[in-house]
Amino acid sequence: MKNVVIINLSPRKNGTSAMLAKMCKEYLLENEKNVETVDLYSHLEDMGTVLSLVDKADTIVMSGPCYIDHYPADTIYLLEQMSTHPEILHKQNLYGIIQGGMPYVHTHESGIRTLELFCQDCNINYKGAFVMGLGAMLNGQQLDKLINGKKVKKSYLAFLNNISNGEISPESLYKNVQIKMPTIVWMYLAKKMNNTINKELTEKGIDYLQPSPYWKM
Amino acid sequence: MITIISDDANQNIGQRIYKELCSKKIEVEYISISDADIKPCYSCGGCTYKTYGKCVVRDDGDKIYPKLISADVWLIVTPIMWGTYSYKTKRMVDKLCVIGDRHYSVVRGEIVKAMQGNIKKLYAVGIKDDCSTEEKSAFSKLVAENINIMNLSGGSFVVDSDVDDCDILKMAEEISK
Repeated sequence: MKNVVIINLSPRKNGTSAMLAKMCKEYLLENEKNVETVDLYSHLEDMGTVLSLVDKADTIVMSGPCYIDHYPADTIYLLEQMSTHPEILHKQNLYGIIQGGMPYVHTHESGIRTLELFCQDCNINYKGAFVMGLGAMLNGQQLDKLINGKKVKKSYLAFLNNISNGEISPESLYKNVQIKMPTIVWMYLAKKMNNTINKELTEKGIDYLQPSPYWKM
Repeated sequence: MITIISDDANQNIGQRIYKELCSKKIEVEYISISDADIKPCYSCGGCTYKTYGKCVVRDDGDKIYPKLISADVWLIVTPIMWGTYSYKTKRMVDKLCVIGDRHYSVVRGEIVKAMQGNIKKLYAVGIKDDCSTEEKSAFSKLVAENINIMNLSGGSFVVDSDVDDCDILKMAEEISK
């Protein structure tokens, strides 16, 4: 495997999904791969560029955020577009990356499941994924800033090594670095985050208790 | 009130459930999103910092979210695409945070969020002919995760596009319990 396309599935070009995509690119370049990166949301009106890059690649990496337990909507649109162009799907390897705000992996894994089912259906080799919690908290910063940053980084680099070698990446890589805490700690964190939200909104002059504007519409 | 959000592409299952619920004299709103214009969520933060609690983009979401926030039960009817919603349905789901509570709570030992308004239950009907067991399981798990993260109750069904009237009746009964 030599030619890789990394697709940023996030509408944000400098968020955590893009940071993980950039790390992936740098790792693969160091390992003498040809790497192209593309932002999906810059091509929603015309998918031609994205589809052409998929065709030229022998490895596809999809990196995206988790919006309510799954990749953003237009990932599904991309997969639909890919499936209607079977000529560009020629047993490439596909790896997924999904990161979301919730600290657990089960809230993000449905996105990965879709990639796996898509691959089974569309002549692509699904090779595994990396699932990461607390991504929203990072907001594009380096992995070291995570509470469990050192472990996650080590695991993510092992995942990137799997991509570089064209190997299947085991789920244990991301599952083993998931944060586990007692309920009382989650309760403390929830309270702390709520206080931070209220403080920030109040400082900006926003009444966080106001009724939704959608009640009046 | 039950609000049905249905991607009616190539089938009329949403309409059939709607008619069944109407025949039971249940208050139901029906929203077809097959031809709706719902722009993607660009994660711009506008619904927090510019127009608090409202998407900054004007599209058919302006008609959809008022009917969602005032409902007790949501029913999503969607084609299944590799174990998930159709992209049109998912565009609506992606922006549900505009009617969500921004605060966190801990339920069953995990951090979750919640919705504003009256909503108590979320059901989803996934449509795919000859859907594999794996894909049914992926869809059910996704809906279960949605229910969990929004701190609701509910469930999911997976049916063929030519599902018989008996199953439509069963789904309507479950949803209207």
